[in-house]
Amino acid sequence: MFNLNEIFILVGFIQIALVAFMQWQIYISSVIKTFSVGSYFLAAFLLAAGYVNGEPYLMVLGFLTAGIRAWFIPGFLSRMLRRDRWRARELKPVLGIASTIILSLLFAVFGYVIYTWTMYDYVHSAFGAIPVALFLQGAFLIISRSNPITQLIGYLVMENALYLFGSLFPELPFVVEAGVVLDVIGTVMISGVIVRLKEEPAQNTEVEDSTRREDFTELRG
Amino acid sequence: MIWIYYLPVALSGIGGLLCLIPKTRFEEDVSIVASFATLGASILIAFMPDASSFGLYVDGFSKLMQLMISAVYVLTVIFSIHYLDHIENKLFQTNLYFLLLNWFVVSMFFTVMVDNVGLLWVGVEATTVTSALLIATDNNEVAVEATWRYIVIVSTGLTISLLATIFIYGGFHTLSLNALLQAPQATKIVSVGALLGIIGYGTKGGIFPMHTWLPDAHGRAPAPVSAMFSAVLLPVALYTIVRFVQIVPLESVRNFAVVLGSLSVIVASLMAFSQRYYKRMFAYSSIENMGVALIGIALGGNAFIGSVIIILTHAFAKSAAFFLTGNVLAGYGTSAIKDVKGVSKTMPLTGYSLFFASLAVTGAPPFGTFFGELLIMTRMISVYGAWFTILIASFLVVAFIGINYRIVRMVFSEPDGQYKHLDDNATVPIIGLAVALSITFLTPVIYMFLRGVAVK
Repeated sequence: MFNLNEIFILVGFIQIALVAFMQWQIYISSVIKTFSVGSYFLAAFLLAAGYVNGEPYLMVLGFLTAGIRAWFIPGFLSRMLRRDRWRARELKPVLGIASTIILSLLFAVFGYVIYTWTMYDYVHSAFGAIPVALFLQGAFLIISRSNPITQLIGYLVMENALYLFGSLFPELPFVVEAGVVLDVIGTVMISGVIVRLKEEPAQNTEVEDSTRREDFTELRG
Repeated sequence: MIWIYYLPVALSGIGGLLCLIPKTRFEEDVSIVASFATLGASILIAFMPDASSFGLYVDGFSKLMQLMISAVYVLTVIFSIHYLDHIENKLFQTNLYFLLLNWFVVSMFFTVMVDNVGLLWVGVEATTVTSALLIATDNNEVAVEATWRYIVIVSTGLTISLLATIFIYGGFHTLSLNALLQAPQATKIVSVGALLGIIGYGTKGGIFPMHTWLPDAHGRAPAPVSAMFSAVLLPVALYTIVRFVQIVPLESVRNFAVVLGSLSVIVASLMAFSQRYYKRMFAYSSIENMGVALIGIALGGNAFIGSVIIILTHAFAKSAAFFLTGNVLAGYGTSAIKDVKGVSKTMPLTGYSLFFASLAVTGAPPFGTFFGELLIMTRMISVYGAWFTILIASFLVVAFIGINYRIVRMVFSEPDGQYKHLDDNATVPIIGLAVALSITFLTPVIYMFLRGVAVK
C-alpha cells in the first residue's frame, strides 16, 4: 500500500524545496509558516512509517513532531512576532535574495556530492543524501540571514534534517528522540527571550553609533 | 542503595524548584543547603562501588567529575550571594538566577552519570538551555549579543554531535555506554561518528575551530557564571569526548583529537598573549587548558591521568581566578587590563590571590596543571617525537608569559586612583586556590579512582 522509501524521498525533497522557499522570504511570518508546513510533512512521514512497520513509538514521535515542531514552536515564534511588529521583516539580509536561493540549491547538490563521497559507503543508504543536503541548507540559512528568528528557524531545519536522518536507522531509542524534542523546546524558548532582548535596546534607546561600536569592541578577537 | 547515585541530580533539582518560592533571600539559603547536600552525596558516591544499571554509568571518572562539579557548585553559590549585590540592572530576579544555576548543575550531573550516548547529548544540550540566560544576567546589549552567539554556535555544534550519536547507533545498534564500551571492533561508520562527536562536543568544550563563543560568553557573563562555565561546563564536554575515545579507540580518532587539541593550544596561546581584557584573557586560557587536556585524553595511559589532573586543578584555580576578576570588575568598573592598576594595594587579598590563580591556570609548579602537562608531554615525546612536543610546549610558554605578565602589571603596579572602595572579599577564591593546590598531593587518589577507567 505504502512504499516508505518513496515517501522518504518525497518528504525529503519537499523539505529541500521549502528551505529554498524560506530563503526568498523577506517576511519572517512566512518563514515560520513554511517551517511549520515542513514539520507537518515530517510528522506525516513518521506516522506513515509507524503505521507501515507496526511501530507504535514512531507514531508517538509523529504526534510529538506535529504537536511540538509543527504547531507549538511556530505558534510561539508567531506570538513573539505579533508582540514586536517591527520584527516582521528581514531588514538587512547578509546576501541578496536571488543569490541566496541559488546558493541554497547549490548547497543541496553539494550535500549530495559530499554524502556520496564520504558517508554512502558507511551508511549503505542512497537516501541519506537528502537529510545531509537539508542539514547544509539549514546551516546556510543561519549564515545568510541576520534576523535572529530566521537563524533560529535555520537551527530547527538542521534538527529536522537529523530527525529525518535518524529515521534511516530503525529503532533509534524513543527516549533519546523524545529528549531531543524536549531540548528543542527549551532552546527555542530561551532563544525567544534572548531574541526579544537582543534588538530592544537598538529600538528603544537613542544610542550614538560610536558609543555602540565602543561597547562591542570587546567582542572582537 | 542504587537511589544514592541519583541524589546529586535530585538534590540540586529540588533546590532549584524551591527557589521559585517568593520569600526574601530564601533562594540563597536553599541553594546553599542544596549545594552542600549535593557535595555530601557526591562524597558518599565516591566511596560506593561503580554502577552500570538502572540507566546509570558511574565509574571512577564519573565520580571525580561529580566531586568537581559539586565542590565548584558550593563555591559558586556562596560567591554569587555576595557578588549579585554588585549587579545593578539584573536581567531577572535573584530567585530566577539561583533556579537556573541549580538546574544548570542538574544538567551537568545528569550528563556524567547517564548510561546512554543519546541521553548524554540530551544532557549537554540541556546545559545550553539552563545556562544561556545566566550569561545575560548583566542585562546589557553586549552581554545579550554574547548570549545569542553562545546559543547559535553551541546549538549548531551540538547538531553535529547528534549526527555522531546516530552514526554510533548505526554501527552498534545500541546507545548504552556500558554495552558500547564492551562492543567488538569499531566499524567505519562508528569511526566517522567518533570524529563528528569530537567536533560537536568540542564546540561545547571550547575546542578549535568551534571555540569562538567561549571568549564572548566568559568575558561578558557575571564572574560566578564565568567560573561555572570554565571550571565545570568545559570539562563536562570533554567527559563526553573521553567516552567517544573509549568507545572508538582507533588511531585515526586519537590523531584527529591531538590535531584539534594542538590547534586549540596554539590559537588560544596567541590570542591570550594579545588580549586587552582580563576576563577574555582567562577565557583563552581555558581554551588552552582544554586543548592540552584533549591531547592527553587522545594519547591515553599516563597522559590521560595528566588530563584529569589538569581538569581538576583548572576547575578550582580558574573558578578562583574568575571570582577574583569579579572583585576587580566591581572595584574598578572596567574589564580593560590597561585601566586596572595596583590591585595588590587597593585590594590586597584579591590581588595576591589573583596572582597565584594566574600562576595555577598557566601551569606553574607546584600546581597540578604543571604535573599534568609534564605527564602529557612525556607521553607525547614517545608518540610524536621531541619536535612536535617542543612546538606545543613553546606555545604553553607563550601563554604563561603573556597571561602572567599582564596579571603582574595589574596586581603589582601603582594604583592611579580609578577605583571604588569595596570589600576585599576573597575567602571563596582562596578556598578554591587551596583545593587547586591540594590536587597535586591527591594524585595517588586520582590514580586510584581512574584504575580500570583510563583510556588505553
